[in-house]
Amino acid sequence: MVIERRWKKWVFFYIPLTLFLVGMLFPFYWMLITAIRPDAELYRSWRNVHNTPFWTLHPTLDHVQDLLARTMFPRWLWNTFFIATVSTGISLFCGLLAGYALARLRFPMAGTLGTAIFVTYLVPPTLLFIPLANIIRNFQLGDTPWALILTYPTFLIPFCTWLLMGYFKTIPKELEECARVDGATRFGAMARIIFPIAVPGILSAGIFAFTLSWNEFIYALVFISSPERKTVPVGVVSELIRGDIYFWGQLMAGALLGSVPVALVYSFFVEYYVAGLTGSVKG
Amino acid sequence: MDRPRSDRTTGVDRRTFLRRTGLVAGAAGLEGILGARRAPAYAQGTKLHLLRWNDFVPACDEELRRQLGEAGRALGATVTLETINANDLQPRITSAVQSGTGPDIIMLLHNWPHLYEASLVDVSDLAEWQRKDQGGYYSQSEAAAKVGSRWVALPHSIVGVQMAYRKSWFDEVGQTTWPRTLEELRLVGLKLKKNGHPIGQTLAHTFGDAPTWAYPMLWNFGAAETDVTGRSVLDRKETVDSVRFMQAYWKDACDEGALAWDDTNNNRAFLAGEISATLNGASIFIAAKRGADKLKDEKDQPLWQDILHGPIPNGPAGSWAYHVAFSHGIMRYSKAPKLAKDFLRWLAAKEHFGKWFEAAGGFSVGANKYWEEHPMWPKLDDAMKIYRTAARVSRMFGYAGPPSAKATEVYSKYVIVDMYAKAVQGMGAADAVAWAAGELRKIYG
Amino acid sequence: MAKHPRSLVPTVGAAPPIEVALPRPRPAPPWRLTRCLESERLLAALLLTPAVVLLALFIAYPFVMGVWLALSDASVGSPGTFVGLRNFVKEWNDSIFQTAFQNTFFYTFWATIFKLTLGMWLALLLNRQFRGMRLVRASMLLPFIVPTVLSTFAWRWMVDPTFSVVNWLLYSLGLITNKLPFLSDGRWAMWCAIVVNTWRGMPFFAITLLAGLQTINPDLHEAASLDGANSWQRFWKVTWPLLKPVTIVVVVFSVIQTFADFQLIYVLTGGGPANSTHLLATYAYQIGVATGLLGEGAAISLFMFPVLFVVVWFQLRYLRRLESA
Repeated sequence: MVIERRWKKWVFFYIPLTLFLVGMLFPFYWMLITAIRPDAELYRSWRNVHNTPFWTLHPTLDHVQDLLARTMFPRWLWNTFFIATVSTGISLFCGLLAGYALARLRFPMAGTLGTAIFVTYLVPPTLLFIPLANIIRNFQLGDTPWALILTYPTFLIPFCTWLLMGYFKTIPKELEECARVDGATRFGAMARIIFPIAVPGILSAGIFAFTLSWNEFIYALVFISSPERKTVPVGVVSELIRGDIYFWGQLMAGALLGSVPVALVYSFFVEYYVAGLTGSVKG
Repeated sequence: MDRPRSDRTTGVDRRTFLRRTGLVAGAAGLEGILGARRAPAYAQGTKLHLLRWNDFVPACDEELRRQLGEAGRALGATVTLETINANDLQPRITSAVQSGTGPDIIMLLHNWPHLYEASLVDVSDLAEWQRKDQGGYYSQSEAAAKVGSRWVALPHSIVGVQMAYRKSWFDEVGQTTWPRTLEELRLVGLKLKKNGHPIGQTLAHTFGDAPTWAYPMLWNFGAAETDVTGRSVLDRKETVDSVRFMQAYWKDACDEGALAWDDTNNNRAFLAGEISATLNGASIFIAAKRGADKLKDEKDQPLWQDILHGPIPNGPAGSWAYHVAFSHGIMRYSKAPKLAKDFLRWLAAKEHFGKWFEAAGGFSVGANKYWEEHPMWPKLDDAMKIYRTAARVSRMFGYAGPPSAKATEVYSKYVIVDMYAKAVQGMGAADAVAWAAGELRKIYG
Repeated sequence: MAKHPRSLVPTVGAAPPIEVALPRPRPAPPWRLTRCLESERLLAALLLTPAVVLLALFIAYPFVMGVWLALSDASVGSPGTFVGLRNFVKEWNDSIFQTAFQNTFFYTFWATIFKLTLGMWLALLLNRQFRGMRLVRASMLLPFIVPTVLSTFAWRWMVDPTFSVVNWLLYSLGLITNKLPFLSDGRWAMWCAIVVNTWRGMPFFAITLLAGLQTINPDLHEAASLDGANSWQRFWKVTWPLLKPVTIVVVVFSVIQTFADFQLIYVLTGGGPANSTHLLATYAYQIGVATGLLGEGAAISLFMFPVLFVVVWFQLRYLRRLESA
């Protein structure tokens, strides 16, 4: 390890790191404070003498209670979790198979197909959502979670495919050849030898896909109508804005609580996530 | 490479290959095949889905839900209400129309009936019935819901906008009655701003507050977007006068940070005592009254007691307003149009609408003149009484031409609002008008 | 490494190297099904089918429909007729479109630069052992995790014209006397959007670059510092070249997402004030949905596609050159 002096450590490490952390986490602190601040303080003028924007002496759980009682927030959490999990599963499945095929197998149009999958990532959702509404109708999936579960993979599969493709490319081919000579089928070699090695990559891709599904807004807005089937971003925005009043306390409470499941998933898997890209990202 | 030996293998290969190459052309066929395998998932005519905005007055939504139960029993159907944020109505309508499925009845604002005319069921019979039952329509409601001679939506209500103001602060600077003319308003505002109580008006891309100010600004000076034939006539002296006034008014009387306010900022600013007056629906007053214990003025008195309303003061051509007209449209794709019509008729019946009207407490008024005489009015607070007749002077945008899809394009591109926004940000009045007129010409041809 | 058909696809992620034993010869099983799966082509077709079917149904087909929309004068409720490139011409001459077009480039460019530099810096900082490392890494990902719509609301509240806490802070510190026009002025609003986008996107850069940093053999750094290089030189001569491939991949992803960004601007400014912060995606939405002019909205959306294609193509070509070098 390279030796550093103490002051250097402070200037070049601790201070910048602290600044980063403050910058990144301050909005969360803000959300938290707003969520527990009573209404009377929320709407006080900025020049008011008693203004204490950074803390409150009368924290209240009113907003959180209101959020959980008056809206179907727990239901939305469940919906979003279900949709995100299943679409991640589908995308990983497709991405795994496609990634292996593109990385390992030789067949005509491999290059073209790889590029084509890549190109689909470039198509903007603002263009797609209207024609998609038609297709969703034809399959009679309107207002069901399946409308989202089948459309989310459109922006998840390309990413999963590339990530896993890169992964597979760096696994030595000898591994499979060895297994096949040992009597395994190509399919068996793929499933039993290669895929287990790719688990960190699968986890990385999965976490990323989960996050993107959780955050998606416009498809969820357009394809789901019943309040009990909404996802968290759509539900919070549509139920907590009434005419020209934003219920800031509840909105921020919703924002925080709505991130908890994803944060939990990350806390379990962040090491895998980093490891999945780690020791593995090569040119 | 291994060669496929069995026929089955080749078959699989060919089918997959065909499926992949015939993808684009075959996809429609594919959909059709898969779609047909499912049985129709709906039953005929027993369910009705109504889509509306989250009413600012929660009591209205509660009353409506209660009425839906009653209506369902009366009509032998199930009626469900879905409410969403007003801004989210249009994407839902768009996808519903394009995909041919969705709510049966949708609440329409502004001139959306014109925009979606091709997808709406003709309700002229209903409209005629409502006119006979409840007196003439306000011209704005009629202009919004009628395309040519056909009614494509049934007017429901109007949310009036007035200027809410702090009586005590106006008294302080010597203005004991609401200013009669725009010039007076500007001079009062000058004094108020010096006292640290500017007037708040947004010129941003908001759903309600910016257009409801910008369009009357035009009309009060005798200017208009088009003439009766629909030809653009924006580029005129009256328009330039109007813009010049706005520039002076902005600098003298307005909170200049308000340029970026959305529809909620002026509410909050007013309730926090940052501004002395603002154009808005009655939501400010109602919110103040609701939170009487939390919202106090500087003397620690309930804020709502210091709030009064006044119309937009007169310009050289009078005082006009752009309120927001609401109507209900029955979608053509609905599987139960007759039921929908019966339901709307039921909802509009005096005994039913009357209860909703009372719950609104003046925030929304009826679309017909009958409701001006309702016994509720004398019981309301003084500040709310003005809303009784406010809808009489309201016009639709696109004036003087019809509020067609072209007028909507002007509205949703915020051309008129931006004309004023650019002018108060430094562009010369004549230049701003020329720019807007250019944009209008591109749209109207 | 075996040769593969060349495609424009980047490589990211790979497995750790594994030891291989000597092969032992044995006869292959005679099953029919497994024999047919032996065929590379067949297996490939089978493996690719789920992905291809899903993407074809839900992207390719709607995309073709979207292109058709863009070439027609369709509006909501009326299918419209073919009008060729008229929509594209109309939009190109539209002053608001031109603003949106420029904004999109401006926004993407600066946001990416900020995310890259700050992400790289953060990754370098985190590339060492220290107490609380796991907690810091996990909490660092939070901006990325929170749904965009909701975190942007929080930012809206923070730079609110009336109640902004930032204004309050600067005012209390005596640095300003009038409120800063965070969202009231076009240029301020654009920079606000860039800041929010940077805040949200930096974790992705940092984590991925961190992963890349951890693959660099520390011996290389040792050797360099023994040769007399200081930190700065070590970074440029040792770290950066090895990190370029992964950097480019991350930048490609980020550029695509940022260029097509919709939610952030929609929530933060709605495209205002006076249409000055519109991006192509938000303007397309305003025209397509709010005005009901589906054909024109589709045309605006389509403008994004070739630009993205070109930008990304150049980056990937560069990456391929690096890979083969």
